[in-house]
Amino acid sequence: MAAKEFTFRCLKCGHEYQGMYDAKNVTERSCPKCRSNSIRRLPAGKAAKK
Amino acid sequence: MMDVGRHPRVELMTFSEVETVSGFVGNFHVTVRKKARYVDPTECTSCEECSKVCPVAVPDEYQQGFSSRKAIYIPFPQAVPSAFILDMDNCLGNNPIACGKCSDVCEKKCIDYDDQDELVNIEVGVIIAATGMDVYDPTEYDEYGYTRFDNVITSMEFERLICAGGPTGGNFMRPSDQERPKRIGFIQCVGSRSRDGRGNPYCSNICCMNTVKDTLLLCDHYPDTESSVFYMDIRAFGKGFEDMYMRSKEEGVKYIRGIPGEVVEDPKTGNLILTVENTTTGKLEQHELEMLVLSQGVIPRKDNDTIKKLLTLSSTSDGFIMESHPKLKPVDAPTKGIFIAGCVESPKDVKESVTQASAAAARASILLNAGKTKVEAITSQVNAELCNFCGICATVCPYNAILAPDRKAKKPPTIIQAACAGCGACAAECATDAITMRHFTDDQILAQIDAILSHKPHEHLITFACNWCSYAGGDNAGTSRLQYPTTSRLIRTMCSGRVDEKFVIRAFKMGAPMVLVSGCHFADCHYISAVHWTQKRMDRIWTKMEKLGIRPERLQLEWISAAEGQKFAKVMRDLEETVKQVTMEEIEHSMKVMAEEEIRMAEKKAKARPKPVAEVAV
Ligand SMILES: [Zn+2]
Repeated sequence: MAAKEFTFRCLKCGHEYQGMYDAKNVTERSCPKCRSNSIRRLPAGKAAKK
Repeated sequence: MMDVGRHPRVELMTFSEVETVSGFVGNFHVTVRKKARYVDPTECTSCEECSKVCPVAVPDEYQQGFSSRKAIYIPFPQAVPSAFILDMDNCLGNNPIACGKCSDVCEKKCIDYDDQDELVNIEVGVIIAATGMDVYDPTEYDEYGYTRFDNVITSMEFERLICAGGPTGGNFMRPSDQERPKRIGFIQCVGSRSRDGRGNPYCSNICCMNTVKDTLLLCDHYPDTESSVFYMDIRAFGKGFEDMYMRSKEEGVKYIRGIPGEVVEDPKTGNLILTVENTTTGKLEQHELEMLVLSQGVIPRKDNDTIKKLLTLSSTSDGFIMESHPKLKPVDAPTKGIFIAGCVESPKDVKESVTQASAAAARASILLNAGKTKVEAITSQVNAELCNFCGICATVCPYNAILAPDRKAKKPPTIIQAACAGCGACAAECATDAITMRHFTDDQILAQIDAILSHKPHEHLITFACNWCSYAGGDNAGTSRLQYPTTSRLIRTMCSGRVDEKFVIRAFKMGAPMVLVSGCHFADCHYISAVHWTQKRMDRIWTKMEKLGIRPERLQLEWISAAEGQKFAKVMRDLEETVKQVTMEEIEHSMKVMAEEEIRMAEKKAKARPKPVAEVAV
């Protein structure tokens, strides 16, 4: 399975951003705004719940 | 290499590639592809008659393309075995228009156009990876004109041009007019210590001294040469290196502190005009040079990923293979029975490579001589009665230490104790709790959670910290006398991959306002890729929390390395504030729903387990 685009949400500052996710090649996540690693990959279709 | 080739107890397999590696320490099974050479090396006498008649000429890779070789050739003068090899991609012999000239002149009749690759299976006890490095291609530094100007060359190309065994027989000349250059410049750190998105951020370690050596070679062979070195700073840290650097300066080599911004060519002379800000004088200078050498950095081999997969290794953020411990086990790989030496681990010079290779050989022979190895006391074990043969344990194991179960044969997974490193990711992922990690059992960890939260639970942040990084990061914060609040209670696991979903559920059930899971950064994970499973699991738990009406923000994740005491203290301070924002209503809600969830999960696990034989019979 190739990498797919998902929405990621920082559980520290709330910042949301788009990024690629590949279950076979997991990479370290870090919030572009606050550097926190508590980054949740939102289930598909759950993006931008603001 | 000759010595190795001649050694009675060393079998040297050149022009071969490792295809598969399986097994574990003491019992590795390796498949090697011996590529077809099309020339029998045992018969070939290297008489060269074949290459004399070969009509094909292609650029010689060993000579950096400055000269050509034939399709039948010896890759380099010291090649072992000293026999010819046929480059079938360029040979005309197998094409529709057959050539066959080499075969006609070969007296020993050792050329075979139908030669085939051969797969060889070998059994070995230990493996040393010493696969080397590649050099950085400076093409993207367009301002230096490497692809535009003939007389801009790399340090590797310089090496060939000045070598007696090189394409010019040691007559040093520049490519544009085959004249000997008398004003030569060297630009340091090309592709190293770069922060502008090109090249690599790390120091390549060897380039400074390589340039110092090159300038001394020029001084020795051609005393009328003027050499100028453009640099950020010269790193001459090895034994005797500073003396060598000083000698180069005394010989008249100019060291100009400043990295050139632009190089242009004078089309009439082929000379290069280089503009640089001399940061010592603060002045903009122009230098006219007859040749410019780019001191290119060292990069990990392109096929390092293949090596990582074959040997279940991981790499640091720079792409070089990660050692088991940077100080205490610098030549051990995280996988038992595998050692690393040379530039596969990081850029290094010959002396360091030899030192590391000797250490790796000694470490390997200790294991081989002992004939046995101590297994970790914290390995996993399977309770066959609880296993539902799903095989997730074998999938998650970063060490391939678990032989997958066989559902049809009702055979549970087998944990190879010698290969298990004790990360506990299998125990955390097992859907039926059939795997127990010795000394870090579910019961032991749950008991710690219960004990911590038995008194004023709403005031405590539960932190799961991995042994190697986050827990050590906490230690670092303590020894550095960094102040942080006392809200947190740490529970140590060997790896964050051990943190089971049920631990988080129990913590919330017991009234914890928040839970923090912390582990190594991905590049530092002491269990290769176990930390990947931590992140995947956290995604699952966050989704579950949301479904149960619990704010996912109450479960935090941080990667904290052993050196990041500052980060540890900051995370603790930040979370202290977040803990205060969790209301009593929220805590009561999570206690209630997580208690229900714990029961639901226990029932689900009981259902997933195989029925006892007696029950099936009824
Ligand atoms: Zn953030």
